[in-house]
Amino acid sequence: MKIGDHTINPTKIICVGTNYMDHIEETKMDIPKEPVLFPKTRNCLILDNESIIYPKLLYNNRRYNRVDYEVELAFIIKDKCKHVAFDDAYNYILGYTVFNDITARKMQVKDIVSKLPWFRSKSFDSFAPIGPIIKEVDEIKDPHNLNIELKVNGEIKQSSNTKHLLFKVPELLAYISKFFTMEAGDIIATGTPSGIGPIKPGDLIEATIEKIGTLKNNVILEGE
Amino acid sequence: MFNMKVGNSTIQPTKIICLGRNYLDHIQETNAPIPTEPVFFAKTLNTLITNNDPIIYPKLLYENPNYNRVDHEVELAFIIFQPCKNISAVNAYDYIRGYTIFLDITARKMQISDRNIKLPWYRSKNFDTFAPIGPEIVSCHEIEDPHNLTIQLKVNGELRQFSNTKHMLFKIPEILEYLSRFITLKAGDIVATGTPSGVSPIKPGDFIEASIEKIGTIEHEVILESD
Repeated sequence: MKIGDHTINPTKIICVGTNYMDHIEETKMDIPKEPVLFPKTRNCLILDNESIIYPKLLYNNRRYNRVDYEVELAFIIKDKCKHVAFDDAYNYILGYTVFNDITARKMQVKDIVSKLPWFRSKSFDSFAPIGPIIKEVDEIKDPHNLNIELKVNGEIKQSSNTKHLLFKVPELLAYISKFFTMEAGDIIATGTPSGIGPIKPGDLIEATIEKIGTLKNNVILEGE
Repeated sequence: MFNMKVGNSTIQPTKIICLGRNYLDHIQETNAPIPTEPVFFAKTLNTLITNNDPIIYPKLLYENPNYNRVDHEVELAFIIFQPCKNISAVNAYDYIRGYTIFLDITARKMQISDRNIKLPWYRSKNFDTFAPIGPEIVSCHEIEDPHNLTIQLKVNGELRQFSNTKHMLFKIPEILEYLSRFITLKAGDIVATGTPSGVSPIKPGDFIEASIEKIGTIEHEVILESD
């Protein structure tokens, strides 16, 4: 997968849920004591300027016809690692990029209430736009002081700063690598701020993080 | 690509999809409701090991009384042959390369505690080595009916799980039709079809043998994660 000038070969995508205080409040979730993790599969990945495909089986079903954007700061693993120490974390990170964790919200809420896995609502094809570039670690001194925003059809819907992350990048890598061996190219998305809302076919989504750039994706209905 | 040798075959899985709650007897033992559509979740590729590799019992589970239970779950898995999306059940076998044995190792106490506070099932299922697979991939043509195979698991020679794939609630063609409505599957992807009753804990020092008729047996010892 080519993201800007970098080619990566991710074996997994791990997302952190409920990691901005404002988003935790809007979704009425409990404040987590440790990071909440879930996977997305590789079929989700698309690049800058590719289309987000709104699945027909969601669009045509009134119980499921809500799909949301969630802009997130993601980091890419540089080298294989396990049990990374907090102080050593940045040595294992290649760089940062913009990630949009597209979510079938009604399906997710229904599955959560039934205590089912979060998987299917998060992992439709094209539900993880990423890019436009990977900004290397040395070029961003502090990843926890970046404006992060998302526009739908030019209108600002999410606007926050990565300083509001509950669990910061080094803590996340230390925690995640206690559980799983990470491989070069693996993607970790750090969670979304408040302001999540629906997208529909025809929309243009622009997700921007300061010092990285803007990831643009239009939304089309499956089969059209 | 992520390359993996299973017996005489080399596969390049991009994902592992598992079904939960697909044998009626297992649904009853876990007090879960009977699903009206397949329940599925993902495991990541760091979990995969092959026949005779050790299952590593993570220290962070072993040393924590809230989390110190890890279970075996033997399952029939099928391997995808070619990319598929929105396929129909009648064509399903055209998209399947073959069958193999899969162990869905699960940190049970962690899974239950996460599920009870409505968290994802992810971390409890995805420690390194929590998905042994093998010993072979037996081609579709060699198994006429994948829904009539005895499936069993022994711990230290003692039978713990014993059932037949005919008791699967959702059968392979419906599973693939359903999954492919959600996600594009790629050649080498692994789909595990759920476990029968008899799930029980494993501990360091145990020897696990999982067998499915016409496929074979995978053997794994359990070791404690070292410092």
